[in-house]
Amino acid sequence: MAVAELTTAGGALAAPRRRRTRAAASRIAGGLAVLITILLLSSFITYSLGALSNSNPAATILGQDAATPAAVAHLDHVLGLDKPLPVQYGNWLSQAVRGNLGVSYFTQIPVSQSIAQRLPVDLSIAIGAIILAVLIGGTAGTVAAVRRGGWTDRGVTLACSAVSTLPAFVVGIILVVAFAVTAHALPANGYTGPSAGIGPWLAHILLPSLALALPVAADVARQLRTSLVSVLEQNYITGARVRGLPYRRILIRHALRNAAGPALTILGNDFPLMLAGAVAAEAVFSLPGLGQLLLESAQTRDIPVVQGVLLVVSTFVIVINLLVNTALGLLYRSADGVGV
Amino acid sequence: MTRTTRRAPGSSVLRLPSARIAVAILAVIVSLAIFGSTLAPQSPLAIDAGALYKGPSLHHLLGTDYLGRDVLSRLMAGTRLSVLTAFEAVAIGLVIGAPLGVATVFLGRWFDFSANRVADALMTLPSIFFAVAVTAALGNGLVQAMLPVGILLAPVFFRVSRAATLEFSRAQYVEAAELLGGSKLHVIRVHVLRKVLPTIAVTTATAAAGALLAVSFLTFLGIGVQPPTPTWGGVLSSDLDYLNLAPWAPFIPGALIAITVGALNALADAYRDRAGAGELHSPVADPVIKTHSTLQPLEAADDRQTAA
Amino acid sequence: MTGKPPRDEVLGLADLHVTVHEGAATAVRGVSLSVAAGEIVGLVGESGSGKTLTCRAALGVLPPGCAVGQGTISFERQDVTDLSRRGWERLHGTGMGAVFQDPASYLNPNLTVGSQLAEVLRVKQRLPRREARRRGIDLLAAVGLHRPDWVFHQIPGELSGGMLQRVMIAIAISCEPRLLIADEATTALDVTIQAEIIELLRDLRDQRGLAVLFVSHDLAVIRELCDRVIVFYAGEIVESGPVGEIIERPRHPYTQALLRVASVGDFRRRELQVIPGQPPQVGAGITGCRFAGRCPAAIEACRSGPVSLVPLSHVHQARCVRATDPELTAVPVTTAAATAEAEAAELAAR
Repeated sequence: MAVAELTTAGGALAAPRRRRTRAAASRIAGGLAVLITILLLSSFITYSLGALSNSNPAATILGQDAATPAAVAHLDHVLGLDKPLPVQYGNWLSQAVRGNLGVSYFTQIPVSQSIAQRLPVDLSIAIGAIILAVLIGGTAGTVAAVRRGGWTDRGVTLACSAVSTLPAFVVGIILVVAFAVTAHALPANGYTGPSAGIGPWLAHILLPSLALALPVAADVARQLRTSLVSVLEQNYITGARVRGLPYRRILIRHALRNAAGPALTILGNDFPLMLAGAVAAEAVFSLPGLGQLLLESAQTRDIPVVQGVLLVVSTFVIVINLLVNTALGLLYRSADGVGV
Repeated sequence: MTRTTRRAPGSSVLRLPSARIAVAILAVIVSLAIFGSTLAPQSPLAIDAGALYKGPSLHHLLGTDYLGRDVLSRLMAGTRLSVLTAFEAVAIGLVIGAPLGVATVFLGRWFDFSANRVADALMTLPSIFFAVAVTAALGNGLVQAMLPVGILLAPVFFRVSRAATLEFSRAQYVEAAELLGGSKLHVIRVHVLRKVLPTIAVTTATAAAGALLAVSFLTFLGIGVQPPTPTWGGVLSSDLDYLNLAPWAPFIPGALIAITVGALNALADAYRDRAGAGELHSPVADPVIKTHSTLQPLEAADDRQTAA
Repeated sequence: MTGKPPRDEVLGLADLHVTVHEGAATAVRGVSLSVAAGEIVGLVGESGSGKTLTCRAALGVLPPGCAVGQGTISFERQDVTDLSRRGWERLHGTGMGAVFQDPASYLNPNLTVGSQLAEVLRVKQRLPRREARRRGIDLLAAVGLHRPDWVFHQIPGELSGGMLQRVMIAIAISCEPRLLIADEATTALDVTIQAEIIELLRDLRDQRGLAVLFVSHDLAVIRELCDRVIVFYAGEIVESGPVGEIIERPRHPYTQALLRVASVGDFRRRELQVIPGQPPQVGAGITGCRFAGRCPAAIEACRSGPVSLVPLSHVHQARCVRATDPELTAVPVTTAAATAEAEAAELAAR
């Protein structure tokens, strides 16, 4: 098919572009395949946790008095707990892809509903955190690279080292103390959805998002600085200058574009840490999110909820990884990235 | 980096002032872990209703908490639990991950491939969720909770020891040793391990830092211990409820956690710089950008090595 | 050359000094030259002779740590020595353009060459996207590329060195500059492509009145292309004049040696010829002629004090105490074998 394309007149123009997009697409597809494997593996591990427990959910649900062996056996059958593990997993998975994550052992509320209720909270702070991490980390890294060797550079590098070792809950606490308790500028806890007003919503998610974003921003800034310093020494930057392009344009369209890759990868790698930080943020800022749901259901050993939350979290991680991979594929068309 | 003397790498590391400070800090922490309860100036459980949330004073060097208990004593007593469970997690990760990482180089393509995929899966997931989930399955105990933390540390050890083994097993002298008649196992034990161990040592330090953070996090969330047992994270968490009264309070346990973690990381850095070990970051950290694979960055490093 | 610059002077350097290593040493000293519209001037010398730094200074893109120490640079008779960054941005592209050795490294490897060409047109000449694309393809055709519409959509990694150099030239002339600086533009190309690029540059001069400052270490190429040639050695100009005159009547021993080594002109190469010795280190304090250490014709007067340029005619000058000496011809140049022998003998004697 490729050969035929090359011999036609119109094909001569489109073939290399098509070849490049096909290469990028196969790269994404390959990544997708790996990620699906990961999803399956992690969901299986997740699912097995429930089975690992020698707690007897049927007995717990029925309560001590009603938990006669016959009643337990009956409930086991109803809940499907008497089938072998892989079969149980298969059933659960096939239901899960259709959006049915089962019902809570205790409240009988569908798991997907509980999750859907809490998801906006975590989505708000996670997306807010990503945006803040990119803005803060990107700016800091760029400024440090452009003014390398100077005081700004040294200050930024020092700040990054300090912040990246701090866990999210410590950062969150510092922020609460600084902005909420001492300065009374922002609320220390609670959450209001955007439908109740954009202002209060933003006020409530700003500090938690910042708590998640700062350690990641530090990592991103550090990596971006290193890459950008290297890119700015490349010949093609001189080439762009000599063509008379304005400095800002060169910095953004040529330098940052090529230097952003590793920083983007760091962002993708740190995303699971951000999610863990979300659990911390929910605790520090009293947000009704998935982390709290997980903690509560773990306390009561409400297995379906636990499994559901874990599945959602894993999916989140995988989606972000996919996005990062796609972005990298779009940014870098040459085979070796920067071609140093 | 070649070394002309046969001194163990440890001694040269201690020349660095940062390493010395780090070791000193860690020595204090470890001795607190062993002797904490006995060394504490006061009982960590003694409630004093008349001295709620007082600042640092001669009697209470780090102040008191919301029940009038001496913070210094509580933190000292809590050190043992944090350190022991962190140790548990690191040990699990090390014992599972490191030998597998070394072995996988010699066990054939299929094993290596599948092991890597499993490692990928485990590495993408944040441990906290699994730690909490495990308590749902196995009960609300810190020991159980640190189990998944340890399991999720294993892929890190796996990756690191695999990469180190790959690098050194290709070295000429290993081939020479084999040719001279040493069995594969002997070669691994004597030559490869000697080079791989420093790398694993570095990873142990950073893994310990991570595990310590995980413990603090879990106790902060209330997982694994019943009050009034003191833990670092627990002290931090209760401070949060009374921020209006004492905004300075959470900084004390926070600083303790940060200093310990910082010391571990500094030690790892110093060791890495000195012994030249542990430079097995993904190419992402490489300033000369040569790859844009994301999910399996070390894979790219391997490909480069196989192609070399 | 002192006095007012000629009316159509495009580039003028007057007593230019360039310092390196944050001012620790002077790598280029006292360089004065002038390029008129439509002229092709060659700069020749070995690596480290200062010709590249001179070009970079003229372009305003000195590497970090280097600076203009003394002297002036003027473009179209306007002083641009202390031009601001904005000023240079305006001058680049529309006033002067540049092409370098290894064109692939001077283009962003992740963007198509067409988008980089069109970018210049869109930004500098404010052309709309489609128009810029059309003009870009026309430019690619004008520099001699077959299938310019195909080339337009390639990334640099997919094109050959010769094609890339043509693309660079296209980009450099896209905004109709009056001066093109070509720093070793043909060095990395093979001989047939070299000839084509040289022809292209000549055509550009003929059709557009483009002035070219052509830097090379290859005298044969310079002879092909340039009207005048300026010879650099150890950061100074040692000889300059019309290319025919320099080749037939070189009046500086270094130029003579260069010609011999390049087997250009009357000299015929028999064996591999070298100029024995090394150029002085940058910043080495030398009184007298900087070539004296390697010069077979050196006399007392050469080392006593600084040597200035001796005018041999109103277009030819040489920095040599013996420039007017009629015996200063056919200075012997040793062969590589002889140099090796001499060095071995010297080592044995120690």
